[in-house]
Amino acid sequence: MKKELLIAMSMVITVVVMAYIATLGGGLGPLFSDVRPLAKAFLSTTLDPEKPLFTAMSPEAVTAIVWDYRGLDTLFETAVFYLAIIGAIAIYRDVNEKVGLKGSGLGLSKIVRVVTKVLIPINIAIAISIALHGHLTPGGGFQAGAAMAVMPMLLIVVFSRYFLLELKLTKGLALAFRSIGLTGIALTVFLPIIIALVNGVNAYIMQNQMKVNAPVGLPAFIGNSLISGSLILYNVFEFLAVTFGFSVLFLLLSIEEDIVKDQMRGEVSEH
Amino acid sequence: MDMTYLLLAISMLFALVATYSAIVERYLVKAVVFSALQSIAFTLALYLLRAPDIVLVYLPITVGIYPAAILFLIKKSEEVEEL
Repeated sequence: MKKELLIAMSMVITVVVMAYIATLGGGLGPLFSDVRPLAKAFLSTTLDPEKPLFTAMSPEAVTAIVWDYRGLDTLFETAVFYLAIIGAIAIYRDVNEKVGLKGSGLGLSKIVRVVTKVLIPINIAIAISIALHGHLTPGGGFQAGAAMAVMPMLLIVVFSRYFLLELKLTKGLALAFRSIGLTGIALTVFLPIIIALVNGVNAYIMQNQMKVNAPVGLPAFIGNSLISGSLILYNVFEFLAVTFGFSVLFLLLSIEEDIVKDQMRGEVSEH
Repeated sequence: MDMTYLLLAISMLFALVATYSAIVERYLVKAVVFSALQSIAFTLALYLLRAPDIVLVYLPITVGIYPAAILFLIKKSEEVEEL
């Protein structure tokens, strides 16, 4: 009882102190009223065809910052995420996911199954829409991938892991799609360089619109649709990579602990 | 404007209660549920603070994927925290 009181007291004190610090110097006021100078600079250039050297040609300032203004930061953040996934795959490298393959009779009740079947198309539609509109409205590749990755997790919990294996969504296939996504991101990074080499001009990696002394710009429009140059490519490929990266993790995590231990013990006794 | 502050205060107070419950709960599955509830309150707060990009990534990660990963870990280890 004394311990619970201690936890509650420390939480209350932390919240009060944090709230007091937040009110110093005007507090939350500026968050709701003024736009800060840095934000003004981004907002005034993010979709302005009259400033071709500074614009990202996207009305969505957050996606423009994430994949254009500070694109390399995002690239390395993505690398950290995939290194973590590679670590998980390395730990499970010798575990055969198909051992103990069972048919029907697993998973939750019929009510939950039907509700899940209704939810799945909605989930897919929302995720794809977040990915394809990532350069126009809030959202983007990672957001869409995270929304989509909920689906394999739901399927594993509601229908069991073997249901996904019967749908042929194995570790190998998920890894292949993840690799297609990552290759796409890498190609998009070097796309301006390739275009520049062909035309004999200069370019930067991850360049979207033209810059000083680097007149390579990816097309901002297809017909009358705004696609914001490289932003839509990054969003779509990141969507693929994140969706299937998480799918690999769930496929591996959901293997029964007994099967994993048996197979790992088998590996030790062989050598 | 005042409504925004009021909703923000309510959601953060709810988050505080949920966090406390998650910390003191000894049954880990229940603790994960409290943690997800706290995340829902945070999602509302982030929306009120005008960060829809964060909302879109925060909701599936903290309510879907993170509890699922923790639940898998709980299933592989122990369900009750030993003091």
